[in-house]
Amino acid sequence: MKMYLLIAARNLVQARRRTLLIGSALGMVTMLLVLLLALSQALTDTMIASATTLQTGHVNVAGWFKAKPADSAPLIGKTAELRKIVEENTPGLDYVIDRGRGWARMVTDTGATQVALSGIDPKEEQVFFSRIQIADGDPQKLSEPGSILIFESQAKALNAKIGDTVTLTVEMYNGNRNTADATIIAIAKDVGFMSSWNSYIPKDTIRLLYGLSEDTSGAVMVYLKDVEKSAETMKILRDVFEKKGFTLNEHDPQPFFMKFETIAGEDWVGQRLDITTWNDEVSYLNWITMALDSISIFLTAILGGIIAVGIMNSMWISVRERTQEIGTLRAIGMGKSRILGMFMMEATLLGLAATGIGALAGVLIAVLVDAADLVVPVAMRVILMSDTLNFSIRPGQIVTAMILFTICTILAAMWPAWRASRLQPVTAIQSVT
Amino acid sequence: MISLVLASLTIALTQPEVDQIVKDLDDRQRNSGDYKALVFLEQKEKDKNDLVYEGVVYRRDEDDKLMILMLKPKSEAGKGYLRLDKNLFMYDPTVGKWERRTERERIGGTDSRRADYDESRLAEEYVTKFVAEETLGKYPVYLLELKSKPGVDVAYPVQKIWVDKATGNMLKRQELALSGRLMRTSYYPKWDKMFSKSKGADIYFPREIRIFDEVEKGNSTTVVLREVDLNALEANIFTKAWLESKSR
Repeated sequence: MKMYLLIAARNLVQARRRTLLIGSALGMVTMLLVLLLALSQALTDTMIASATTLQTGHVNVAGWFKAKPADSAPLIGKTAELRKIVEENTPGLDYVIDRGRGWARMVTDTGATQVALSGIDPKEEQVFFSRIQIADGDPQKLSEPGSILIFESQAKALNAKIGDTVTLTVEMYNGNRNTADATIIAIAKDVGFMSSWNSYIPKDTIRLLYGLSEDTSGAVMVYLKDVEKSAETMKILRDVFEKKGFTLNEHDPQPFFMKFETIAGEDWVGQRLDITTWNDEVSYLNWITMALDSISIFLTAILGGIIAVGIMNSMWISVRERTQEIGTLRAIGMGKSRILGMFMMEATLLGLAATGIGALAGVLIAVLVDAADLVVPVAMRVILMSDTLNFSIRPGQIVTAMILFTICTILAAMWPAWRASRLQPVTAIQSVT
Repeated sequence: MISLVLASLTIALTQPEVDQIVKDLDDRQRNSGDYKALVFLEQKEKDKNDLVYEGVVYRRDEDDKLMILMLKPKSEAGKGYLRLDKNLFMYDPTVGKWERRTERERIGGTDSRRADYDESRLAEEYVTKFVAEETLGKYPVYLLELKSKPGVDVAYPVQKIWVDKATGNMLKRQELALSGRLMRTSYYPKWDKMFSKSKGADIYFPREIRIFDEVEKGNSTTVVLREVDLNALEANIFTKAWLESKSR
């Protein structure tokens, strides 16, 4: 093995120009794949972080209340009881909160915007406050009635600042409209583009707006120590609630605000629970990561194909140049399999070295760009779900990229190597290059 | 030099004196019986045509009740506002629905607010502080600063008012948000009075209010009050049913 390695290395060094050209191309496409994977991972990480900070738990015990068959109010009653069941039956539980849900038109004297309202209790939202960065004001004042926390992008759109009053207008579930004034007590820095439509008010204010009772809420949000266990936990909670006699809707992996019409069309009345994961609640954004992944796959497939053709071509040239050498080796007793092994070793070494360097370059660029917090144009923010360009490196990405293109190199070299191994010694020795 | 000396000799009012000024200001406008006035609103907005509305304001100060019924133009006729138990409701006859509105509601879409038509409750809703004695035009005035009391729902939590020393009527008012942003400036160039039998004294009311939007510069509303009537109104006038009946 050591001998083959030495021969392979020597051959690569001897044909350094060819090696460098092919190696550079291989390295660059590996770097590109590492960057694309890191970008996609960053998108997913941002989506999880934004979503679970702003609008969803890892698992959500939400529900629908219908006074009449045509109703669809995203409410849960007996919130205290639901929380207790969750706390007692969730493995790997980190903490539980409940939030009111609403949708309002937020109006100031200079502008208006639509917002998703979350009714919160600051005493149990310290994790939320630790995850958002406050640009101005004091979020603890959300304990005061008639207060509101908004984000910088909203403050900019409304030309509003701390102490200004906004008027919130909602459509109640009985079809009437209601309004309430709220004073801006805190402005938080944006957490991705989801910030542009999320605002936070005290639970009592949302109950006042919608005319709800004390024990009514929007969703019990469950936060786990390991977010990867979300789907599994959802199944456990579904079983638990069913056994306790609650009626559950079939699992529909969509955000709750996309289910109004479906629920309104269902012929039942009363209360039903709807348990979802964070992934369900942001599924309307999955198209972004899917699109990026598709582009990555397509791009790397095209580039990989081009690289493979180049490698194959290079190997053919190498075989032709070394025909006499092959003949000599065969003449002195080297078997066909060893000739094949020699060329395959060369391809493997080239693949590993080039992809290794390319992956390293990709990691370096990703780390530097991520640290630089480059601000992206507004149009890109919807796609990237962030105001800055982020990359998130995982060891698996590096290994994937290296293995993929090394295998690509090996496969591309296989045919020329096989043909080289089939050369007749006499013919090979006598050939003139 | 003389003005500096004079200024240095100005003595600030004591808190009880300031509180009395504001209390008197409220009392002069409060009626113990009913109140009705024909109002005209002229709304000017930058780069838009002026709009004129006609309406009637009904008040029963003893019960803290207020109703505003719009009469003209035809598109606004039948719309109204009703204040019951500190809640303001708006009625739109085109949809036949009542909607709860806040203190910041623009009456008829103008720069005027509910408080511009209602009895003055400054002493009840605000804490007052003496700022200075000034001159507004040719009128010596007291400049007072008001901050809303905790838990009280008002359109503007901070106000500055210029009160005529001679008459005790308000001549100018600035309304600010908690952030300190100036929201509106209102002028009260004309005051009138009428004897109220139920009160046994005169009640004062502004004949004209000129409201300037300080956020959207160029926007303003002029409210003119005519035909003030202090006779008793129908007993059931301050009900949703009464307002709805006006649009049928």
